[in-house]
Amino acid sequence: MNRKLLLVGVVALVLGVVGTLQLASYLVSREYRAPSRVEIEEPTPRTKGLVDEAQEAEQRALEQPYEEEKYREFPVIGSRVAVWVLAQLHLLFAAFVLAVPIFALIIEFIGYKTGDKRYDKLAYEFTKLLSVSFSMTATFGAFLLFMLIALYPKFMQYLSHVFTPTFLPYVGLFFLEAFFLYSYYYGWGKFSPRVHLFLGLMLNLVGTAIMFIANAWLTFMMSPAGVSETGARISTWEAVTNYTWMPINIHRMIANVAFGGAVAAAYAAFRYLSAKTDEERAHYDWMGYIGNFVAICAFLPLPFAGYYLASEIYAYSQALGIQMMGGAFSWLFIIQAALIGNLFLAANYYLWLGMGRIEAAAPYQKFIKYLLIAIALCFAIWATPRSIISTVSEVRAMGGSSHPQLGFLGVMSAKNTAVNILILSTYMSFLLYRRAGKRAVHSARKLLNTLQFSIFAITAGIVIFYGVYGYFVEAAVRIKFSVPQVLSVLLAMIVITVLDVILYKNAEETGETRWGTMPAVSQYTLIFIAVSFTWLMGLMGYVRSALRQHWHVYGVVRDTSVDAFTPTLGYATKVVSVTVLIFFALIGVVFWLASLSGRKDWEPSRKRAAVSTGAPLL
Amino acid sequence: MKDLIPIPIKIAALVLGSTALYTYIGQLVPQKEVLPPAAAIEIDADASPADLAVLGAEIANGKGLCLTCHTVGQGSSAGLRFPDLDGIAKRAETRIEGLGALQYMAHSIYFPDDFIVEGFNPGMPKINKPPIGLTDQEILTVLAYLESLGGTPTVTPSTTLADLGIE
Repeated sequence: MNRKLLLVGVVALVLGVVGTLQLASYLVSREYRAPSRVEIEEPTPRTKGLVDEAQEAEQRALEQPYEEEKYREFPVIGSRVAVWVLAQLHLLFAAFVLAVPIFALIIEFIGYKTGDKRYDKLAYEFTKLLSVSFSMTATFGAFLLFMLIALYPKFMQYLSHVFTPTFLPYVGLFFLEAFFLYSYYYGWGKFSPRVHLFLGLMLNLVGTAIMFIANAWLTFMMSPAGVSETGARISTWEAVTNYTWMPINIHRMIANVAFGGAVAAAYAAFRYLSAKTDEERAHYDWMGYIGNFVAICAFLPLPFAGYYLASEIYAYSQALGIQMMGGAFSWLFIIQAALIGNLFLAANYYLWLGMGRIEAAAPYQKFIKYLLIAIALCFAIWATPRSIISTVSEVRAMGGSSHPQLGFLGVMSAKNTAVNILILSTYMSFLLYRRAGKRAVHSARKLLNTLQFSIFAITAGIVIFYGVYGYFVEAAVRIKFSVPQVLSVLLAMIVITVLDVILYKNAEETGETRWGTMPAVSQYTLIFIAVSFTWLMGLMGYVRSALRQHWHVYGVVRDTSVDAFTPTLGYATKVVSVTVLIFFALIGVVFWLASLSGRKDWEPSRKRAAVSTGAPLL
Repeated sequence: MKDLIPIPIKIAALVLGSTALYTYIGQLVPQKEVLPPAAAIEIDADASPADLAVLGAEIANGKGLCLTCHTVGQGSSAGLRFPDLDGIAKRAETRIEGLGALQYMAHSIYFPDDFIVEGFNPGMPKINKPPIGLTDQEILTVLAYLESLGGTPTVTPSTTLADLGIE
């Protein structure tokens, strides 16, 4: 049947029905009515009563005093989840916007110093992701602020009481950031390299200052300072520089770089997988490698920044610290261990696959199996809980909630040791990758190699010694052991890197690096790393915030809303997952928009052009 | 050969799969909702010391957060972050010359940094202040509970701060 005819028939039918109804209604309204059918409105007692009631209600409304609302409810999902998701999305985009300029500037600087144009192109490619992300950050920031004012008016009033002096500088810096970001992006190649580098530097400084101000607000909520016992402001500066402010500043800066590197690497992976030419594949393979390199370089010291933050939380309040590590949130760190273990495994796997693109990498590939064993063992130890979910009979059989043997691996002595060895192993993977395809020609290469190996062995020895010794000493002594463990690993990584740079200076190339020859699975690994980083940020953001439990400002402003309880970890992980999925849907749009700039300009198709000009189609 | 599944679909499946994996891990750990503590607990004026000790055990395990840090019956100090409370009433008698067990324990609660047990670090919060914020009456019940660990409770609802040596 002709579909157009059918459509016309349906429209005609609808019009006919509507027209008939209109005509009938018109005729009825004009018809003659006998007096008996005329409606005479006589006020009944009920009607009068209703009118009086309405008047009274109006009067009451006019007379009611103004009362401040403490909370308002967001429909369906509730206020807490609405603010939670928005805050997390704002933070993820903000982290990306703050991180990318840091490594874009470093890469641009390398390009400027070496004169290699590839670095300049790469830095620009990273920067292309910024402008849309910046708009997303600002939009989510404004959305979050409106929601906080609307849903938590009393609490926001209190924060304004303490932090009003910080608001204007924040807005001023935000304007400056917009100026430096857009001049850095649009001014690429338009200024002298030094001026452009200066713009990039200013962008980073201003962005960091903005983050420091915002961090003051949120850390005050966890470890308030500068206020009286009843919450009256004594000093805004003290409120800003509270116990956890600087640790969060440092932790966030490092975590942002790791996250930004991972997301940029995911972008490169997406472009690599969709590349049409070998040249494109080579470029995006290299970009993915650099993004992942940045992410892992920042990821390695991140646990140490985490120690610093945790120790400051304990210093502020032992109860808060123990609540975090041994109380309601202790199991959250088992989920964190699973995430970080996956991140380490995936990052190492990508590096090991990367050796395949280097000719003559075989001598180093034989070490991969040993590294894999070390990483898997450390992962298993880190993810071992102190107490196990068990039935009553199992508890009786074990003599408690801890497993008689495995329970010993669930304590901090074992976990600290595992994470330090994990970091050392990943660093070793990097070192092997760096050496692949090169032969050292330094005259003291034997000595330098032995020295490097000795430092590795001694560091591993120190870490394991303190880990075991921790079981035999009191808490007051044991808690200090993480310091020599961390310092020895950090020092070892710095010294070995310096020695390696000396050792491989002017090294002989034994094989070429064939960029663009990585298998597709390596690129999916990069995307997996980005998802894991994002999820980890969501989870840790949750614990930092949830640690306050039923307090808006810990010990000062109590949460009396319907959401004052702490939800189950299962519920929290669902909210984190939804946030991560929304973020990736949005970042997908950012990637797509960024990829538009490389496309050819639109042109009318040959057929349409021919028709419009009247030219023959041949 | 051209891929049958478009790359964006594969990436979306990977993102969804990874997120689902982590959500699943989140469901495997113990699930516990933590409710905000109840408002100040009213204590019956006729309650016996034993009744107070029972109530005190509840507060120590809940609103007071005592057992978040302290243990009961976990043995020696090695491996512990804070002193074990088992037998505390007996040990408290001999800690400070001139102070009875009850007075020593009360002083340690109201002024937690004054007496630090050897081998441990200071760190106990003032539990009569926010965020814990126990009332004096609630602290009495906690003291009764502590007295019951290695001794016999003696405090009653009429015990005053002066009796405890605090004022």
